[in-house]
Amino acid sequence: MRMKKLKSRRKSNTLTHPQHEATNPCDFSFHITKVAVAQICRSVGFGRSQVTALNTLTLVATKYLETLGRSATSFSGAANRAQPNLLDLTNALHDISLHVGFKGVGTLYGDDCFLKSAVLEDLSGFVRSTDEIPFAKPIGRPKERETEDSKPSQGGNLQRGGHIPEWLPVFPDVGNKEQCNKRVSGETLWENSASVLRHETEEFQEKRDGSNGGKLSKERRRVKFWIKGGKRVDMNRCSGNNLFSQSRDEEAEHKKSKEKQTLVYQRRRKKVQ
Amino acid sequence: MNHNPQSSDGKHDDDSALSDFLASLMDYTPTIPDELVEHYLSKSGFQSPDVRLIRLVAVATQKFVAEVASDALMHCKARQAAVVKDKRDKQQKDKRLILTMDDLSKSLREYGVNVKHQEYFADSPSTGIDPASREE
Repeated sequence: MRMKKLKSRRKSNTLTHPQHEATNPCDFSFHITKVAVAQICRSVGFGRSQVTALNTLTLVATKYLETLGRSATSFSGAANRAQPNLLDLTNALHDISLHVGFKGVGTLYGDDCFLKSAVLEDLSGFVRSTDEIPFAKPIGRPKERETEDSKPSQGGNLQRGGHIPEWLPVFPDVGNKEQCNKRVSGETLWENSASVLRHETEEFQEKRDGSNGGKLSKERRRVKFWIKGGKRVDMNRCSGNNLFSQSRDEEAEHKKSKEKQTLVYQRRRKKVQ
Repeated sequence: MNHNPQSSDGKHDDDSALSDFLASLMDYTPTIPDELVEHYLSKSGFQSPDVRLIRLVAVATQKFVAEVASDALMHCKARQAAVVKDKRDKQQKDKRLILTMDDLSKSLREYGVNVKHQEYFADSPSTGIDPASREE
């Protein structure tokens, strides 16, 4: 059975069959990818498409994306790095293009510069020759994740998330690679070299400002614990199980001990009554 | 490995060409949005603060999909050219170029993806067989 759809008026998929949605658990991203793939097909020259054909092409595109990411990650992991760089991505592109083949695949790991690869040249040619096709619909940005803010600051506790107790010190800053990876002979990582750095994005500059060089700050707040045997005393008035409190100076300690005493006193009175 | 001065100059040229390409990526907006690519890459464990790498992945995927689609278009046009009846039919078919599973599976096979689409589904293996020849 053929179901034809007009691509120029693609809105929400009112003709989706349940069996198509059941094949892919991530429906929302799949539908967005389907819109992008439909736009690409239209730019190539297709006016219409079968629903199953479009779904299949979208699935192949998502698997292509995931395969590229997985290969690049495994290459970076094999090189003892956590974040993939351009070399890992180039390796992944070569791996995925081996079936089709590209120029220079026979002498891939020879004496020539590895990045002078035909795959990257083809991509740059594609970018130069093809017009931009902006995505049809605007996509909302996901809400800011707490793990993105890794900068240590005095108010850093607020950015860490509720799963980390407040009395733990802040994380050390490991974002600055220059101080951590300085070698004796002055060698630096390739992606930090001048030829690549002159086009650095804002994210690099943000991560490089205000760093400690991977060390914990020397001055940290002093933490004291009061553990009451048997009775649960709500010292901070936040939760019944919270037996710990923090103290910065002696005045605060005095105040908190007074609070503790008053709380204990009140509880005893209530029991009598 | 012998490092000639010419090869080192060539490497500088390659580096500059590469950095120019990466810079041009920031000007070019791929069809697949950055947020979507980030979502799929984070599913695979790829996490990078560099937007250029994400754009590179998006452009590579866009190129791949465009190549598959253009191959399918070639198959579709070849099929239409083979079936030329009247002039009127040909003009009608030129306006409607439809991406079918047939063309798509043919073009994907060249890229190593085997897609088989069932023509129809039947209730039992003996459906449609002439009842006289069917054994009961």
